[in-house]
Amino acid sequence: MTVVTTPGGSATGLRMAARVEHAVKVYGSGDTEVRALDGVSVGFQAGRFTAIMGPSGSGKSTLMHCAAGLDTLTSGSAHIGDSELSGLDDRRLTLLRRDRVGFVFQAFNLVPTLTVAENITLPLDLAGCTADREWVDTLIETVGLRDRLRHRPAQLSGGQQQRVAVARAFAGRPDVVFADEPTGNLDSRSGEEVLNLLGRAVRQMDRTVVMVTHDPVAAAHADEVVFLADGRLVDRMESPTAEAVLDRMKAFEVRS
Amino acid sequence: MNASLRLSLSSLRAHRRRFAGTFISVFLGVAFLAGTLVMGDTLRASFSNLFGDATAGTDAVVRSADTITTPGESQGVRQPVDVSLVKSVERVPQVAAAEPDIQGRGQLVGADGTPIGGQGPPTTAGNWLRDTRLNPYRLAEGRAPARSGEVVVNKGAAEKGGLKVGDTTTLRTPDPVKVTIVGLATFGGADGMGQATYTGMTRADAEEYLTARPGEAANIKVRAEDGVSQRQLVDALTPVLPKGMEAITGQESAQENNETISGQFLTLFTNFLLVFSGVALLVATFSIYNTFAIVVAQRTRENALLRALGAARGQVTAATLVEATAVALTASALGLGGGIGIAAGLQALFPAVGFPFPEGELVVKGTSLLLPLAVGVVVCLGSALLPAARAGRTAPLAALRETAVDQSGTSRSRAVVGGGLGVLAAASTLTGVWVTPSLWLAGLGALFALAAFVVLGPVASRAAVRALGAPLDRLRGITGGLARRNALRSPRRTAATASALMIGVTVVSLFTVFAASLKTTMDQTVSRSFAGDIAVSAPSFGAGGSGLSPKLAPAIAEQPGVRYAVGLGSGVADVNGGGRALTITDPATLGKVLDLGPVDGTLQHLGTDGIAVSRKAADQQHLTVGSTARLAFTDGTKPSFTVRAVYDQSELVGNYVITRSAWAPHRTQDSDTLVAVTFDPGVSAAEGKATVERVAAQYGKPSVQTRSEYAESSASGIDMMLTLVYALLALAVFIALLGIANTLTLALHERTRELGLLRAVGQTRPQLRAMVRWESVLVAAFGTAGGLLLGAFLGWVLVRAAGGASDTGFTFTLPPVNLAAVALVGLAAGALAGLRPARRAARLNVLRAIAME
Repeated sequence: MTVVTTPGGSATGLRMAARVEHAVKVYGSGDTEVRALDGVSVGFQAGRFTAIMGPSGSGKSTLMHCAAGLDTLTSGSAHIGDSELSGLDDRRLTLLRRDRVGFVFQAFNLVPTLTVAENITLPLDLAGCTADREWVDTLIETVGLRDRLRHRPAQLSGGQQQRVAVARAFAGRPDVVFADEPTGNLDSRSGEEVLNLLGRAVRQMDRTVVMVTHDPVAAAHADEVVFLADGRLVDRMESPTAEAVLDRMKAFEVRS
Repeated sequence: MNASLRLSLSSLRAHRRRFAGTFISVFLGVAFLAGTLVMGDTLRASFSNLFGDATAGTDAVVRSADTITTPGESQGVRQPVDVSLVKSVERVPQVAAAEPDIQGRGQLVGADGTPIGGQGPPTTAGNWLRDTRLNPYRLAEGRAPARSGEVVVNKGAAEKGGLKVGDTTTLRTPDPVKVTIVGLATFGGADGMGQATYTGMTRADAEEYLTARPGEAANIKVRAEDGVSQRQLVDALTPVLPKGMEAITGQESAQENNETISGQFLTLFTNFLLVFSGVALLVATFSIYNTFAIVVAQRTRENALLRALGAARGQVTAATLVEATAVALTASALGLGGGIGIAAGLQALFPAVGFPFPEGELVVKGTSLLLPLAVGVVVCLGSALLPAARAGRTAPLAALRETAVDQSGTSRSRAVVGGGLGVLAAASTLTGVWVTPSLWLAGLGALFALAAFVVLGPVASRAAVRALGAPLDRLRGITGGLARRNALRSPRRTAATASALMIGVTVVSLFTVFAASLKTTMDQTVSRSFAGDIAVSAPSFGAGGSGLSPKLAPAIAEQPGVRYAVGLGSGVADVNGGGRALTITDPATLGKVLDLGPVDGTLQHLGTDGIAVSRKAADQQHLTVGSTARLAFTDGTKPSFTVRAVYDQSELVGNYVITRSAWAPHRTQDSDTLVAVTFDPGVSAAEGKATVERVAAQYGKPSVQTRSEYAESSASGIDMMLTLVYALLALAVFIALLGIANTLTLALHERTRELGLLRAVGQTRPQLRAMVRWESVLVAAFGTAGGLLLGAFLGWVLVRAAGGASDTGFTFTLPPVNLAAVALVGLAAGALAGLRPARRAARLNVLRAIAME
C-alpha cells in the first residue's frame, strides 16, 4: 500500500491534494440520527486519479462533499492542500472552492443562459481574473468542443455537456477536481469519453481527480479505489480493474 | 369537480407563499377602492346631517329666482334681495320671524399676521342672525356682536388662527376691517362647516363691508309659526313676493347647499381617488396574471401527470380557477375590512391634521361592499383565466419532457397584432391632435397605445433588456452578464412583470409632463402678457380668499415713483345669452401694465356703455368694433354695450373688459384679483417693491411679487396637486414592485439547481445577491423606460388635444430633471424589489440546491 494516511505527506515526498482526518458527519439527532461518516481518515494524493466506491448509503457522497468544502464535518478535519476547511466561513469556503477546487456533477452542470465558452471560464469570471488563454485553449482542444463554443448547453448532448463540465472543472488549474457520479446520466460510450478525459487530465496534465462512483467500470479508470461502507473506510485497491472492483463490491453485499 | 377542488385547495395550502404577492395586490386594490367608497358615503352623509342640523330652524328662504352661471363655475351668482322685503314677509301671518341673510367673503387674519384659510374652502362673512333658530351657527362661547366692529367667528377658524374671545384682528373684506372677537360659534355641532371659515358681524357692519349698497342681502330666512309646515309657509309667502323672487322650503335650501358640497366637491374627490384605485388594480392584474402563469408553468409536470391519469382538460383548468377564486375571495373579503379600516382611520386622522371630518357613524352601503368585492374577484379571476386555460391544454406527454427555456412570446402574430394596435393608436391620437382636436379621440388613441405597448412588450423585451443591460456586462462582469441573461430568459414573463411597473410609470410621467407643460404655459402667459414690474395679488385657491381691496390700486398709484397701478377686478354678467366672467378695470391704462397684443379700436374711451372683447370671444360671438352686445347683470338690468375694442391677448385680462364706472351700478362685493404696477424710469425694482409693500401692508398684507416671482407663484398650485397625485400613485407602483419581487421569487425557485451550481463553482453570496438585484433592476428599467416613453407621448397628446380643444394655447414641455428623477426612482424601486428575493436566494443551502429534483 502506497497510500499514506498520516498528515504532512509532503515530508515523505508525497503531496496530498486533499485529505480528511477522523471525519465524522452526523445528520439528525436522537432516534433519527444517522452517522454518514464515522471516523474516516483518508488522503488524496496530488497527481492521482482516486475513485471512492461503496454501496448506497455508505457515505461516499458525503465524504466528497465534506472534502470539497460543500458541506461541513460534525467533527474531525478536512484539508485542501494546506488549508484547513473547518475554520472557514461561507465566504472563504466559496473563494476556496472557486480558486482551488473543480467540480463535475452528475447532471445539471452548466448554466443554461451561458454559452459553452462562458461556462468553461465561469469560475475564473466569478473570481474576476482573466483566464490563461493557452491553458483554456488546450482544455477546449482536449475535450474536443472547439466548434461548439458559442452554443448553449441546451443545444448539446448529455455527453458533450459533461465534457464542457470537465473543461470548466480544470479551467482554473485547481488543486483538486471532485467528480460526483460524472457518468451516471450518460450512455456507456459517452461515459467512457468523459472518464478518458479525466484520466488524461491526471496523467498528461498532472492534475488531481477524486471521483465518487458506484460503477466498477468507471472506477477501473482510476489509479486507486477507496471503499466505504457504513461511513467507514474499509478497503483500498491500487490499479483496479472492473472485475476486481466488482468482486470486492460483491463481498460487501455478502457480508452485509 | 370535487377532485379539482380538493387538488386546488391542497395546492394552495402547500404553496401559500407563492400567492402572497397576488393576495397582497388584490387586498390593497380592494381596500383602497372600498376605503374610497366608504369614506365618500360617510362624508356625504355627515355633511348632509350637518346641513340638516344647522338649518333645521329655517323653514323657508326667499331669494331672487334667476342666476347667472359662467362656464366652469358650479354655483351661479344670484341677484341680491332688497331687505325692505323683510317687512312684507313679516306681515304674513304664518311667519314667526324673518331676517335678511347677508353673505360675503371675509378672510380673517390670524394672531401671527397670516390669513386663515383661503386654500380651497370658502372664507365667508355675514350678518350674525339674531334669531337663534334661524342662525345656523350656535354661540359656544362669548356673546353675539352688538356694536360695530364686534364679530363672532367659528371655532375652527379661531383655533387655526390662534384667536380667542377678546382678541382684535383684521378681517379682509377685502378692505381691511379691524374687528374684535366677542364670541365663538359652532355649526351643526362641529367647529365649522368643513374647513370653511365664518365671521358673523352686526347687520350694519355686514351691509357696510360686504355689500355694494346698503339694503341688499343674499336672501331672507324665514321661520314659521308653530304648526305651520314648510310647504304651507312657502305657499303663504309666494303671493306677497314681487316678480323675480321665489320662496323655497328650508329643506330644499339645505338640500341645495348639501349638493354643492357633496354633489360636486365630494364626487370630484371620490372620482379622483377611484381613478387611482383603478390604476392600482390594473397594475395588479399584470402581477396576478404573471403569478398564475408561472405557477402553471412550474406545475406542468404535475398537470401532465393528472392528464395522463385521466383528468379532463376542464378539470385541470377548473383546479387553477378554483385556486384563483379562493385567493380572490379571501383577499377581497379582507380587503373590504381593510377598506373600512382605512375609512375609519381617516375619520380619526383628519381632525388630528386640522381637517374637521364631520362627526357621524361610518356609512357602509351595500354597493361599497359589493362593488370592491366584485372588482377584486373579477380582476383576480380574469387575470388567472389565460394561465388556467393553458394549464388545461397541458399535454399528458409533457410529464416526460424537460421544458428548458421559454421561447414563447416573441411570435410573429404578436408582433403583427401589436404593430396593428400601434398604427391604430398613432392614427387616432394624431387625428385627435391635429385634424379634429378632440380629447375623446386622443384618449381612445392613448388606450390603443397602452394596449400596443403591453402586446409588444415580449417582442421588445429582448432588444430592450439587451440594450439597457449592455453597460452591466462591462461594469459588473459575469454577475451583470448573468443578470442580463436571466432577465432575457422568458420574454413574456419579463414583459408582463415590467408592464405592471410600466403602467404606473406611464401615469406618473404623464402627470409630470402635463404639470410641467401647465407650468410653462402659465409662466409664458405671465411673461408674455404681464408688462408690469410688480404684481400684487392675494394668493388663493378655489373659493377661498378675499381678493384685494379696490382702494389698493389708487393708493399705490399715488406713491412717488409709481407710474401706473392698475387693479383688475371681476364680475359676472350674461353676455348675449350666456353667463360670462367680466374683468372690471381701468381700460385706458390697462395696456401700460399688460400686453394686450394688437388692438382693433381703442380702450381709451369705453365709458359706461363700452366693452372691450378678446379676439377669440369676438369671433365666437360674431362681434366686431362697433357692434352691440346685450348684457344682463345680476341686479336684473339689461343694458346694451357697444364693442369699442377687440384685443388679442386674453390670458391675464380675460375675454370681456368694462370700466369701473360701467360696473358700479351693478356691482356686488367689490374686490380686485390683481394689481399690476409699473414704475417711473430710474426706480429700482427693490425700491419700488418696498414702496408697494408699505402701502399693501395697510390693506391686509397681500403678497407683493416681482414679475418672475409672480410667474412662479402662479404655478405653485400645480406642484401641490402633483405631489398629491404622486402620493396616490405610490400604491400602484408598490403593487408593481410586489409583482417584480413575486415573479423573481418564483423564477428563482425554478432555478434552484442552477443557483446551487453557481454557488458550488465559486459564486459568493454577495455575488449571487447582486445578480438577483441586477436582474430586478433590469426588469424595472425595462418597465420604467417603456413607461417614460409612453407617458411622455401621452402627455404630449393630452397637452396638444387639450390645447386644441380649449381656447387658450398650451405649450408642451418635457421636464428633463423630473423625468430623470422618475427614472431613478423606477430603478431604485427595482433594486428594492430585488432585495428580498436576493436575500432568500443567497440563503440557499448549496448541497440541497444541487440535489433538488
